[in-house]
Amino acid sequence: MSEPIVRYNNVTKYFDDLQVLDGIDFEIQPGEKVALIGPSGSGKTTFARLLMTLEEITDGTIEVEGDYLWHEQDDNGDLKPASTDHLRKVRSNIGMVFQHFHLFPHMTVLENVMEAPVTVQGRDKKEAKKSAEDMLDKVGLLDKADTYPAQLSGGQKQRVAIARALVMDPKVLIFDEPTSALDPELVGEVLDVIKDIADQGDTSILLITHEMDFAKEVADRIAFFDGGKIIEDGPPSEILYNPQAPRLKEFLERFMNTQSSPE
Amino acid sequence: MWDWNYAFEVLPDIASALWVTISATLVGFVLALVVGLIWTLLIRSNNKIISNVADGIVKFIRNTPLLVQLYFIFYVFPQFGLSLEPFTAGVIGLGLHYSTYLSEVYRSGIESVGPGQWEVATALNFDTRKTWTRIILPQAIPPVLPVIGNYFITMFKETPLLSAITLVEILQTAQNIGASTFRYTEPLTIVGVLFLLLSYPASVALRQLEIRVTERY
Ligand SMILES: Nc1ncnc2c1ncn2[C@@H]1O[C@H](COP(=O)(O)OP(=O)(O)O)[C@@H](O)[C@H]1O
Ligand SMILES: [Mg+2]
Repeated sequence: MSEPIVRYNNVTKYFDDLQVLDGIDFEIQPGEKVALIGPSGSGKTTFARLLMTLEEITDGTIEVEGDYLWHEQDDNGDLKPASTDHLRKVRSNIGMVFQHFHLFPHMTVLENVMEAPVTVQGRDKKEAKKSAEDMLDKVGLLDKADTYPAQLSGGQKQRVAIARALVMDPKVLIFDEPTSALDPELVGEVLDVIKDIADQGDTSILLITHEMDFAKEVADRIAFFDGGKIIEDGPPSEILYNPQAPRLKEFLERFMNTQSSPE
Repeated sequence: MWDWNYAFEVLPDIASALWVTISATLVGFVLALVVGLIWTLLIRSNNKIISNVADGIVKFIRNTPLLVQLYFIFYVFPQFGLSLEPFTAGVIGLGLHYSTYLSEVYRSGIESVGPGQWEVATALNFDTRKTWTRIILPQAIPPVLPVIGNYFITMFKETPLLSAITLVEILQTAQNIGASTFRYTEPLTIVGVLFLLLSYPASVALRQLEIRVTERY
């Protein structure tokens, strides 16, 4: 197997005295699509936010393409906390789509997608506009290029947010419950877009979701979180239809029972 | 009581001093806008020492009278080798004093921008400077523009204080005329009317701006 694109080594996270992640080892292969499932509060979001550098790691290391994310090696090969420059360099491989979209309200849809390529990557404006338009076309919103986010539906906002993340060409794209803030009738259009990306892209995907059917459809692998640990990790068929851990069985049963009306 | 001939006679002199008042307001306000933003950023610094020192200075300036500060800059600084023209001293005093109010206005604007905007800026790998200039400030400033405009008008109306440090602005001019002719009614009335003529339209324009801003957000 090739070098993993992401590797967590014994990663631990505390918020003050509260331990949220408990010595996690985890790998994502290039192009691999991994879904994270598990009860609320089990640490899935924190796990992903560490990779996006939105939370600081307490202990352990994360590697992205063999580079430490939160650390740098000094001349003796010892690890020290990463400088801002190093953090930015390694972070440029990662992208994230948030539950609540967080579009830039003061920019049009096109500007939202063009902004980071121009400002952050220093790409030529014309060329960035072209790729932003391609991206908007991909998520089916090219006709909304000149509108402001306030005029979009939740589903459309999330599709713009996906285009905005994707245009940066990340090697790993994180989705944290991308549809759970949406009205039920708008979930499908967003899932379709994510499915497209998963099918055609060599982007690795880390998808936190409560949509089990969708996880099964897009993921090569599902990891089950409970109490700050990954309890079980395997192909969707194994995790969903042949669960071993009692906590996972319980979780899935409760899930099937509470799942609302058929879609 | 009221002598129109006399009024028209003194009007040109007073009106020409208006230029001093207006330029002191403009320069002072630009200073306040810039320094106010610097205070806000310093107070938000992760470095506790920087943040506390900046916060202390701002509180000190905000809670002492502008007039005392003007006297200090004009009459005390020279003892430490810093002699300033009345205009320069006045503009620094005004700008510094109002920078502390504007710092507070910026702060409330910045806090109205949700944490998600900061997070998405990190996720898209913006550096600190571009996060501020491209994402945070363009959202933080428009909602507080009406408040900023209000301070502008207030500052304009406070410029007569600069006569206390010998700046010959519009009030001082009227006083000088009054002192030489022993007629104060016309010159002082003209000063009042000139202030009204300038600040009233400004506050009407501000009201319009306020309506536009609230519509947009
Ligand atoms: N910024 C924070 N400060 C303190 N506690 C937090 C913070 N973020 C998350 N937590 C806590 O960490 C635990 C895991 O949260 P989270 O990672 O959001 O789980 P999940 O995404 O699986 O629901 C929860 O107990 C939550 O309350
Ligand atoms: Mg979560």
